[in-house]
Amino acid sequence: MNPNIDKQEMRNYLLGTLEIERRAAFEESILGDAGVYEEILVTEAELIDQYLANNLSPSERHQFETHFLITAERQRNLQFGRLLRRYLNSQPAPVSPVEIPVAVRQHEIPAPAKNFFPFAAGIFTRTATVAVSAAVVVSIGIILLLCWTSTRNPGPTIAQENTSQTVQVTLTPGTMRSADAVTQRVPVPPRGVKVRLEMQVSNSSFHKYKSELFRENDSLKTADELQAEKKGEQHIVPWTITGEVLSPGDYQVRLSGVLDSGHDEFIDNYSFRVVK
Amino acid sequence: MNKDWFLSQEAFDALLDWLDSDREQAGIKYEEIRARLIMIFAGRGCIDAEDLADETINRVTQRLSTIKEEFTGDPTRYFFGVANFVHMEYMRRKPPQPSPFPPSDSNQVEIEYRCLEHCIASLTEENRYLLLKYYGAEGRSKVEQRRQLADELGIAPNALRIRAYRIRLSLQECVEKCIERSQE
Repeated sequence: MNPNIDKQEMRNYLLGTLEIERRAAFEESILGDAGVYEEILVTEAELIDQYLANNLSPSERHQFETHFLITAERQRNLQFGRLLRRYLNSQPAPVSPVEIPVAVRQHEIPAPAKNFFPFAAGIFTRTATVAVSAAVVVSIGIILLLCWTSTRNPGPTIAQENTSQTVQVTLTPGTMRSADAVTQRVPVPPRGVKVRLEMQVSNSSFHKYKSELFRENDSLKTADELQAEKKGEQHIVPWTITGEVLSPGDYQVRLSGVLDSGHDEFIDNYSFRVVK
Repeated sequence: MNKDWFLSQEAFDALLDWLDSDREQAGIKYEEIRARLIMIFAGRGCIDAEDLADETINRVTQRLSTIKEEFTGDPTRYFFGVANFVHMEYMRRKPPQPSPFPPSDSNQVEIEYRCLEHCIASLTEENRYLLLKYYGAEGRSKVEQRRQLADELGIAPNALRIRAYRIRLSLQECVEKCIERSQE
Protein backbone atom coordinates (compact mmCIF):
# COMPACT_ATOMS: atom_id res chain seq x y z
CA MET A 1 0.00 0.00 0.00
CA ASN A 2 1.18 3.50 -0.77
CA PRO A 3 2.60 4.89 2.48
CA ASN A 4 1.43 8.41 1.58
CA ILE A 5 -2.22 7.42 1.62
CA ASP A 6 -3.86 6.24 4.79
CA LYS A 7 -7.09 4.35 5.30
CA GLN A 8 -9.00 7.31 6.65
CA GLU A 9 -8.12 9.35 3.54
CA MET A 10 -9.43 6.55 1.37
CA ARG A 11 -12.71 6.55 3.27
CA ASN A 12 -12.94 10.32 2.97
CA TYR A 13 -12.21 10.10 -0.74
CA LEU A 14 -14.95 7.51 -1.28
CA LEU A 15 -17.42 9.46 0.84
CA GLY A 16 -16.62 12.69 -1.01
CA THR A 17 -15.21 14.52 2.00
CA LEU A 18 -11.52 14.68 1.04
CA GLU A 19 -10.20 18.20 0.41
CA ILE A 20 -9.97 19.06 -3.31
CA GLU A 21 -6.18 19.64 -3.24
CA ARG A 22 -5.57 16.23 -1.68
CA ARG A 23 -8.08 14.64 -4.01
CA ALA A 24 -6.03 15.56 -7.11
CA ALA A 25 -2.95 13.80 -5.73
CA PHE A 26 -5.12 10.88 -4.79
CA GLU A 27 -6.57 10.58 -8.27
CA GLU A 28 -3.11 10.48 -9.84
CA SER A 29 -2.26 7.61 -7.49
CA ILE A 30 -5.39 5.76 -8.58
CA LEU A 31 -4.31 5.93 -12.20
CA GLY A 32 -0.63 5.24 -11.66
CA ASP A 33 -0.50 2.81 -8.75
CA ALA A 34 -2.22 -0.57 -9.04
CA GLY A 35 -1.81 -1.11 -5.28
CA VAL A 36 -3.71 2.08 -4.43
CA TYR A 37 -6.48 1.20 -6.85
CA GLU A 38 -7.01 -2.25 -5.33
CA GLU A 39 -6.80 -0.82 -1.82
CA ILE A 40 -9.63 1.57 -2.66
CA LEU A 41 -11.73 -1.31 -3.98
CA VAL A 42 -11.15 -3.19 -0.72
CA THR A 43 -12.10 -0.06 1.26
CA GLU A 44 -15.26 0.27 -0.87
CA ALA A 45 -16.32 -3.25 0.12
CA GLU A 46 -15.56 -2.49 3.78
CA LEU A 47 -17.64 0.69 3.67
CA ILE A 48 -20.54 -1.28 2.22
CA ASP A 49 -20.29 -3.86 5.00
CA GLN A 50 -20.12 -1.15 7.66
CA TYR A 51 -23.15 0.57 6.16
CA LEU A 52 -25.12 -2.68 6.21
CA ALA A 53 -24.04 -3.37 9.79
CA ASN A 54 -25.11 0.17 10.77
CA ASN A 55 -21.55 0.95 11.82
CA LEU A 56 -21.21 4.30 10.04
CA SER A 57 -21.66 7.58 11.86
CA PRO A 58 -24.77 9.59 10.85
CA SER A 59 -22.67 11.96 8.69
CA GLU A 60 -20.83 9.04 7.03
CA ARG A 61 -24.15 7.33 6.43
CA HIS A 62 -25.50 10.46 4.78
CA GLN A 63 -22.41 10.78 2.55
CA PHE A 64 -22.62 7.10 1.73
CA GLU A 65 -26.19 7.41 0.48
CA THR A 66 -25.86 10.75 -1.30
CA HIS A 67 -22.31 10.51 -2.69
CA PHE A 68 -20.92 7.00 -2.61
CA LEU A 69 -23.99 5.27 -4.00
CA ILE A 70 -24.13 7.61 -6.97
CA THR A 71 -23.03 5.04 -9.56
CA ALA A 72 -24.94 1.99 -10.71
CA GLU A 73 -21.89 -0.21 -10.09
CA ARG A 74 -21.71 0.71 -6.41
CA GLN A 75 -25.45 0.16 -6.06
CA ARG A 76 -24.88 -3.33 -7.48
CA ASN A 77 -22.04 -3.85 -5.00
CA LEU A 78 -24.32 -2.81 -2.15
CA GLN A 79 -26.95 -5.26 -3.34
CA PHE A 80 -24.35 -8.02 -3.40
CA GLY A 81 -23.10 -7.04 0.08
CA ARG A 82 -26.64 -7.33 1.41
CA LEU A 83 -27.08 -10.72 -0.23
CA LEU A 84 -23.77 -12.01 1.17
CA ARG A 85 -24.67 -10.73 4.62
CA ARG A 86 -28.01 -12.51 4.51
CA TYR A 87 -26.23 -15.73 3.56
CA LEU A 88 -23.58 -15.37 6.27
CA ASN A 89 -26.21 -14.71 8.93
CA SER A 90 -27.85 -18.01 8.06
CA GLN A 91 -24.65 -20.04 8.31
CA PRO A 92 -23.05 -21.79 11.31
CA ALA A 93 -19.41 -20.99 12.10
CA PRO A 94 -17.22 -22.50 9.36
CA VAL A 95 -14.97 -25.45 10.15
CA SER A 96 -11.36 -25.10 9.10
CA PRO A 97 -10.50 -27.28 6.07
CA VAL A 98 -7.55 -28.65 8.03
CA GLU A 99 -9.98 -29.95 10.67
CA ILE A 100 -12.12 -31.73 8.08
CA PRO A 101 -10.82 -35.25 7.48
CA VAL A 102 -9.72 -35.76 3.89
CA ALA A 103 -12.26 -38.57 3.56
CA VAL A 104 -15.26 -36.23 3.92
CA ARG A 105 -14.04 -33.31 1.82
CA GLN A 106 -16.18 -32.23 -1.08
CA HIS A 107 -15.88 -34.12 -4.38
CA GLU A 108 -14.29 -37.10 -2.65
CA ILE A 109 -15.82 -40.43 -1.74
CA PRO A 110 -16.54 -40.57 2.00
CA ALA A 111 -14.75 -43.35 3.86
CA PRO A 112 -16.53 -45.22 6.66
CA ALA A 113 -16.12 -43.36 9.94
CA LYS A 114 -14.12 -45.25 12.51
CA ASN A 115 -14.89 -42.89 15.38
CA PHE A 116 -18.19 -41.47 16.57
CA PHE A 117 -16.68 -38.00 15.95
CA PRO A 118 -14.00 -38.57 13.33
CA PHE A 119 -13.41 -34.81 12.92
CA ALA A 120 -12.59 -34.56 16.61
CA ALA A 121 -9.99 -37.30 16.67
CA GLY A 122 -7.11 -34.91 16.28
CA ILE A 123 -8.48 -32.31 18.64
CA PHE A 124 -9.92 -34.05 21.69
CA THR A 125 -8.38 -36.55 24.00
CA ARG A 126 -10.12 -39.92 24.28
CA THR A 127 -11.76 -38.87 27.58
CA ALA A 128 -13.00 -35.59 26.12
CA THR A 129 -14.40 -37.38 23.10
CA VAL A 130 -16.34 -39.78 25.35
CA ALA A 131 -17.67 -36.81 27.38
CA VAL A 132 -18.80 -34.93 24.26
CA SER A 133 -20.40 -38.11 22.88
CA ALA A 134 -22.33 -38.58 26.14
CA ALA A 135 -23.50 -34.95 26.04
CA VAL A 136 -24.77 -35.40 22.49
CA VAL A 137 -26.61 -38.60 23.44
CA VAL A 138 -28.29 -36.76 26.35
CA SER A 139 -29.19 -33.84 24.03
CA ILE A 140 -30.75 -36.21 21.51
CA GLY A 141 -32.78 -37.73 24.36
CA ILE A 142 -34.04 -34.30 25.42
CA ILE A 143 -34.97 -33.41 21.84
CA LEU A 144 -36.89 -36.70 21.44
CA LEU A 145 -38.69 -36.03 24.73
CA LEU A 146 -39.67 -32.54 23.58
CA CYS A 147 -40.91 -33.90 20.24
CA TRP A 148 -43.00 -36.53 22.04
CA THR A 149 -44.46 -33.86 24.34
CA SER A 150 -45.36 -31.61 21.42
CA THR A 151 -47.17 -34.41 19.61
CA ARG A 152 -49.25 -35.06 22.74
CA ASN A 153 -50.20 -31.35 22.88
CA PRO A 154 -50.52 -30.23 19.28
CA GLY A 155 -50.60 -26.45 18.95
CA PRO A 156 -49.71 -23.79 16.50
CA THR A 157 -46.19 -24.09 15.06
CA ILE A 158 -45.58 -20.42 15.52
CA ALA A 159 -44.25 -18.76 18.65
CA GLN A 160 -47.23 -17.05 20.26
CA GLU A 161 -47.88 -15.28 23.51
CA ASN A 162 -51.40 -14.27 24.42
CA THR A 163 -51.57 -11.19 26.59
CA SER A 164 -54.94 -9.81 27.74
CA GLN A 165 -55.72 -7.91 24.51
CA THR A 166 -52.81 -8.74 22.22
CA VAL A 167 -51.56 -11.95 20.67
CA GLN A 168 -47.85 -11.97 19.86
CA VAL A 169 -46.82 -13.88 16.78
CA THR A 170 -43.14 -14.35 15.97
CA LEU A 171 -42.49 -14.71 12.25
CA THR A 172 -39.25 -16.06 10.82
CA PRO A 173 -38.04 -14.88 7.41
CA GLY A 174 -37.44 -16.73 4.20
CA THR A 175 -40.45 -19.02 4.28
CA MET A 176 -40.67 -18.64 0.50
CA ARG A 177 -37.32 -20.38 0.27
CA SER A 178 -38.31 -23.36 2.32
CA ALA A 179 -41.03 -24.90 0.23
CA ASP A 180 -40.93 -28.09 2.24
CA ALA A 181 -41.19 -26.30 5.58
CA VAL A 182 -44.41 -26.45 7.60
CA THR A 183 -46.40 -23.22 7.13
CA GLN A 184 -46.59 -21.24 10.31
CA ARG A 185 -50.13 -21.31 11.76
CA VAL A 186 -52.08 -18.78 13.76
CA PRO A 187 -55.57 -19.43 15.17
CA VAL A 188 -58.23 -16.87 14.17
CA PRO A 189 -57.94 -14.12 16.81
CA PRO A 190 -61.06 -13.46 18.93
CA ARG A 191 -62.97 -10.20 18.34
CA GLY A 192 -61.32 -7.11 19.82
CA VAL A 193 -57.92 -8.76 20.18
CA LYS A 194 -54.92 -7.21 18.48
CA VAL A 195 -52.18 -9.21 16.82
CA ARG A 196 -48.57 -8.14 17.24
CA LEU A 197 -46.57 -9.59 14.34
CA GLU A 198 -42.88 -9.75 15.25
CA MET A 199 -40.77 -10.13 12.12
CA GLN A 200 -37.29 -11.43 12.90
CA VAL A 201 -34.50 -9.56 11.10
CA SER A 202 -30.79 -10.32 11.05
CA ASN A 203 -29.87 -6.80 12.19
CA SER A 204 -31.45 -3.41 12.80
CA SER A 205 -29.51 -1.46 10.19
CA PHE A 206 -32.46 0.65 9.02
CA HIS A 207 -33.89 3.59 10.91
CA LYS A 208 -37.41 2.77 9.73
CA TYR A 209 -39.18 -0.19 8.21
CA LYS A 210 -42.16 -0.57 5.90
CA SER A 211 -44.40 -3.57 5.73
CA GLU A 212 -47.32 -4.71 3.69
CA LEU A 213 -49.74 -7.51 4.57
CA PHE A 214 -51.08 -9.63 1.73
CA ARG A 215 -53.78 -12.25 1.73
CA GLU A 216 -53.39 -14.44 -1.33
CA ASN A 217 -51.78 -11.56 -3.30
CA ASP A 218 -54.35 -8.94 -2.23
CA SER A 219 -52.82 -6.11 -0.25
CA LEU A 220 -54.74 -5.64 3.02
CA LYS A 221 -52.72 -3.24 5.09
CA THR A 222 -49.49 -1.24 5.10
CA ALA A 223 -47.31 0.47 7.68
CA ASP A 224 -44.31 2.69 7.02
CA GLU A 225 -43.04 3.96 10.36
CA LEU A 226 -42.03 0.72 12.01
CA GLN A 227 -38.96 0.52 14.25
CA ALA A 228 -36.72 -2.47 15.02
CA GLU A 229 -36.38 -3.67 18.61
CA LYS A 230 -34.02 -6.02 20.39
CA LYS A 231 -35.73 -9.09 21.81
CA GLY A 232 -33.24 -11.28 23.63
CA GLU A 233 -30.51 -12.10 21.13
CA GLN A 234 -32.83 -11.37 18.19
CA HIS A 235 -33.77 -8.20 16.35
CA ILE A 236 -37.45 -7.92 15.54
CA VAL A 237 -39.67 -5.47 13.72
CA PRO A 238 -43.03 -5.46 15.52
CA TRP A 239 -46.26 -4.51 13.76
CA THR A 240 -49.56 -4.53 15.62
CA ILE A 241 -52.70 -5.04 13.56
CA THR A 242 -56.33 -5.53 14.48
CA GLY A 243 -57.36 -9.16 14.70
CA GLU A 244 -60.45 -8.55 12.52
CA VAL A 245 -58.14 -8.32 9.49
CA LEU A 246 -57.25 -11.98 9.85
CA SER A 247 -59.74 -14.55 8.64
CA PRO A 248 -58.74 -18.12 7.75
CA GLY A 249 -56.32 -18.18 4.81
CA ASP A 250 -52.70 -17.73 3.74
CA TYR A 251 -50.95 -14.45 4.50
CA GLN A 252 -47.65 -12.89 3.65
CA VAL A 253 -45.89 -9.87 5.13
CA ARG A 254 -43.43 -8.11 2.86
CA LEU A 255 -40.85 -6.21 4.91
CA SER A 256 -38.60 -3.45 3.54
CA GLY A 257 -36.05 -1.15 5.17
CA VAL A 258 -36.28 2.59 4.52
CA LEU A 259 -32.99 4.31 3.67
CA ASP A 260 -32.23 7.87 4.73
CA SER A 261 -32.74 8.82 1.09
CA GLY A 262 -36.35 7.65 1.40
CA HIS A 263 -35.89 4.67 -0.91
CA ASP A 264 -36.93 1.18 0.15
CA GLU A 265 -34.77 -1.93 0.29
CA PHE A 266 -36.59 -5.25 0.24
CA ILE A 267 -35.60 -7.40 3.25
CA ASP A 268 -37.74 -10.52 3.25
CA ASN A 269 -41.16 -12.12 3.11
CA TYR A 270 -42.84 -13.71 6.13
CA SER A 271 -45.63 -16.21 5.56
CA PHE A 272 -48.23 -17.60 7.90
CA ARG A 273 -51.60 -19.30 7.77
CA VAL A 274 -54.63 -18.33 9.84
CA VAL A 275 -56.66 -21.37 10.83
CA LYS A 276 -59.98 -21.88 12.58
CA MET B 1 -14.33 18.17 -30.56
CA ASN B 2 -16.61 15.94 -32.56
CA LYS B 3 -19.10 14.50 -30.05
CA ASP B 4 -20.61 12.18 -32.64
CA TRP B 5 -17.33 10.37 -33.14
CA PHE B 6 -17.46 6.68 -32.33
CA LEU B 7 -14.62 4.31 -31.60
CA SER B 8 -14.01 2.22 -34.72
CA GLN B 9 -12.20 -1.11 -34.62
CA GLU B 10 -9.27 0.44 -36.45
CA ALA B 11 -9.03 3.31 -33.95
CA PHE B 12 -9.36 0.90 -31.05
CA ASP B 13 -6.53 -1.25 -32.44
CA ALA B 14 -4.34 1.86 -32.71
CA LEU B 15 -5.12 2.71 -29.09
CA LEU B 16 -4.17 -0.79 -27.95
CA ASP B 17 -0.89 -0.56 -29.94
CA TRP B 18 -0.08 2.64 -28.11
CA LEU B 19 -0.80 1.17 -24.70
CA ASP B 20 1.38 -1.91 -25.22
CA SER B 21 2.97 -3.77 -28.10
CA ASP B 22 1.67 -7.04 -26.61
CA ARG B 23 -2.01 -7.25 -27.54
CA GLU B 24 -3.05 -9.11 -24.39
CA GLN B 25 -1.21 -6.73 -22.09
CA ALA B 26 -2.69 -3.81 -23.99
CA GLY B 27 -6.19 -5.17 -23.42
CA ILE B 28 -5.52 -5.49 -19.69
CA LYS B 29 -4.15 -1.93 -19.56
CA TYR B 30 -7.18 -0.62 -21.41
CA GLU B 31 -9.56 -2.24 -18.90
CA GLU B 32 -7.51 -0.95 -15.98
CA ILE B 33 -7.48 2.61 -17.29
CA ARG B 34 -11.21 2.54 -17.93
CA ALA B 35 -12.01 1.17 -14.46
CA ARG B 36 -9.80 3.77 -12.79
CA LEU B 37 -11.30 6.62 -14.80
CA ILE B 38 -14.74 5.46 -13.68
CA MET B 39 -13.53 5.52 -10.08
CA ILE B 40 -12.17 9.06 -10.52
CA PHE B 41 -15.38 10.40 -12.05
CA ALA B 42 -17.44 8.67 -9.36
CA GLY B 43 -15.15 10.21 -6.73
CA ARG B 44 -16.03 13.62 -8.16
CA GLY B 45 -19.71 12.88 -7.78
CA CYS B 46 -20.51 12.22 -11.46
CA ILE B 47 -23.55 9.98 -11.81
CA ASP B 48 -22.69 8.86 -15.33
CA ALA B 49 -19.07 8.03 -14.50
CA GLU B 50 -18.96 5.20 -17.03
CA ASP B 51 -20.06 7.45 -19.91
CA LEU B 52 -17.50 10.08 -18.96
CA ALA B 53 -14.73 7.46 -18.81
CA ASP B 54 -15.69 6.28 -22.31
CA GLU B 55 -15.79 9.87 -23.54
CA THR B 56 -12.27 10.40 -22.17
CA ILE B 57 -10.99 7.30 -23.94
CA ASN B 58 -12.71 8.32 -27.18
CA ARG B 59 -11.09 11.74 -27.09
CA VAL B 60 -7.63 10.30 -26.51
CA THR B 61 -8.16 7.81 -29.34
CA GLN B 62 -9.41 10.51 -31.67
CA ARG B 63 -6.21 12.54 -31.20
CA LEU B 64 -3.91 9.54 -31.08
CA SER B 65 -1.81 10.32 -34.17
CA THR B 66 -0.91 13.75 -32.72
CA ILE B 67 -0.38 12.39 -29.21
CA LYS B 68 2.04 9.76 -30.45
CA GLU B 69 4.19 12.47 -32.00
CA GLU B 70 4.06 14.98 -29.16
CA PHE B 71 3.64 13.05 -25.91
CA THR B 72 6.24 10.93 -24.21
CA GLY B 73 5.74 9.11 -20.93
CA ASP B 74 3.15 6.97 -19.25
CA PRO B 75 -0.08 7.03 -21.33
CA THR B 76 -2.21 6.93 -18.14
CA ARG B 77 -1.08 10.46 -17.31
CA TYR B 78 -2.39 11.69 -20.62
CA PHE B 79 -5.76 10.11 -19.90
CA PHE B 80 -5.82 11.92 -16.57
CA GLY B 81 -5.32 15.30 -18.25
CA VAL B 82 -8.10 14.64 -20.75
CA ALA B 83 -10.38 13.40 -17.95
CA ASN B 84 -9.99 16.79 -16.24
CA PHE B 85 -11.22 18.56 -19.40
CA VAL B 86 -14.12 16.15 -19.78
CA HIS B 87 -15.04 16.79 -16.16
CA MET B 88 -14.91 20.59 -16.56
CA GLU B 89 -17.29 20.38 -19.51
CA TYR B 90 -19.54 18.06 -17.55
CA MET B 91 -19.72 20.56 -14.69
CA ARG B 92 -20.79 23.32 -17.11
CA ARG B 93 -23.69 21.20 -18.29
CA LYS B 94 -26.60 20.58 -15.97
CA PRO B 95 -25.60 17.37 -14.17
CA PRO B 96 -28.27 14.66 -14.31
CA GLN B 97 -30.09 13.83 -11.11
CA PRO B 98 -29.46 10.50 -9.43
CA SER B 99 -31.93 7.87 -10.47
CA PRO B 100 -33.88 6.20 -7.67
CA PHE B 101 -32.86 2.71 -6.66
CA PRO B 102 -34.78 0.14 -8.66
CA PRO B 103 -37.55 -1.40 -6.54
CA SER B 104 -36.62 -4.74 -5.02
CA ASP B 105 -38.42 -7.75 -6.39
CA SER B 106 -38.79 -10.70 -4.02
CA ASN B 107 -38.54 -13.22 -6.88
CA GLN B 108 -35.33 -11.59 -8.04
CA VAL B 109 -33.95 -11.76 -4.48
CA GLU B 110 -34.65 -15.50 -4.44
CA ILE B 111 -32.83 -16.01 -7.75
CA GLU B 112 -29.86 -14.04 -6.45
CA TYR B 113 -29.77 -16.08 -3.25
CA ARG B 114 -29.84 -19.37 -5.13
CA CYS B 115 -27.03 -18.13 -7.39
CA LEU B 116 -25.00 -17.13 -4.34
CA GLU B 117 -25.43 -20.57 -2.79
CA HIS B 118 -24.37 -22.17 -6.07
CA CYS B 119 -21.29 -19.93 -6.42
CA ILE B 120 -20.19 -20.40 -2.81
CA ALA B 121 -20.48 -24.16 -3.28
CA SER B 122 -18.23 -23.93 -6.33
CA LEU B 123 -15.43 -22.15 -4.42
CA THR B 124 -12.46 -24.23 -3.36
CA GLU B 125 -12.72 -25.51 0.20
CA GLU B 126 -9.97 -23.17 1.40
CA ASN B 127 -11.47 -20.10 -0.26
CA ARG B 128 -14.93 -20.91 1.05
CA TYR B 129 -13.56 -21.25 4.57
CA LEU B 130 -11.66 -17.98 4.30
CA LEU B 131 -14.67 -16.11 2.91
CA LEU B 132 -17.11 -17.39 5.55
CA LYS B 133 -14.68 -16.86 8.40
CA TYR B 134 -13.51 -13.41 7.30
CA TYR B 135 -16.85 -11.86 6.37
CA GLY B 136 -18.78 -13.85 8.96
CA ALA B 137 -16.85 -12.20 11.79
CA GLU B 138 -19.11 -9.75 13.61
CA GLY B 139 -19.18 -7.34 16.49
CA ARG B 140 -16.38 -6.28 18.78
CA SER B 141 -14.44 -9.51 18.35
CA LYS B 142 -14.25 -9.06 14.56
CA VAL B 143 -10.71 -7.65 14.61
CA GLU B 144 -9.49 -10.40 16.91
CA GLN B 145 -11.18 -13.13 14.83
CA ARG B 146 -9.59 -11.81 11.67
CA ARG B 147 -6.19 -11.57 13.32
CA GLN B 148 -6.51 -15.21 14.41
CA LEU B 149 -7.48 -16.17 10.87
CA ALA B 150 -4.40 -14.38 9.49
CA ASP B 151 -2.24 -16.27 12.02
CA GLU B 152 -3.91 -19.54 11.07
CA LEU B 153 -3.17 -18.94 7.40
CA GLY B 154 0.31 -17.60 8.12
CA ILE B 155 -0.22 -14.29 6.33
CA ALA B 156 -0.22 -10.62 7.35
CA PRO B 157 -3.62 -9.07 8.24
CA ASN B 158 -3.52 -6.74 5.22
CA ALA B 159 -2.71 -9.65 2.90
CA LEU B 160 -5.76 -11.40 4.37
CA ARG B 161 -7.93 -8.33 3.63
CA ILE B 162 -6.82 -8.34 0.00
CA ARG B 163 -7.22 -12.10 -0.36
CA ALA B 164 -10.72 -12.05 1.16
CA TYR B 165 -11.67 -9.18 -1.14
CA ARG B 166 -10.44 -11.04 -4.25
CA ILE B 167 -12.52 -14.07 -3.32
CA ARG B 168 -15.52 -11.80 -2.72
CA LEU B 169 -14.99 -10.15 -6.11
CA SER B 170 -14.79 -13.48 -7.94
CA LEU B 171 -17.90 -14.60 -6.06
CA GLN B 172 -19.80 -11.48 -7.08
CA GLU B 173 -18.78 -12.01 -10.73
CA CYS B 174 -19.97 -15.62 -10.52
CA VAL B 175 -23.31 -14.53 -9.00
CA GLU B 176 -23.85 -11.83 -11.65
CA LYS B 177 -23.16 -14.32 -14.46
CA CYS B 178 -25.49 -16.86 -12.83
CA ILE B 179 -28.27 -14.25 -12.59
CA GLU B 180 -27.77 -13.30 -16.25
CA ARG B 181 -28.05 -16.96 -17.27
CA SER B 182 -31.21 -17.42 -15.21
CA GLN B 183 -32.84 -14.47 -16.98
CA GLU B 184 -32.12 -15.74 -20.49
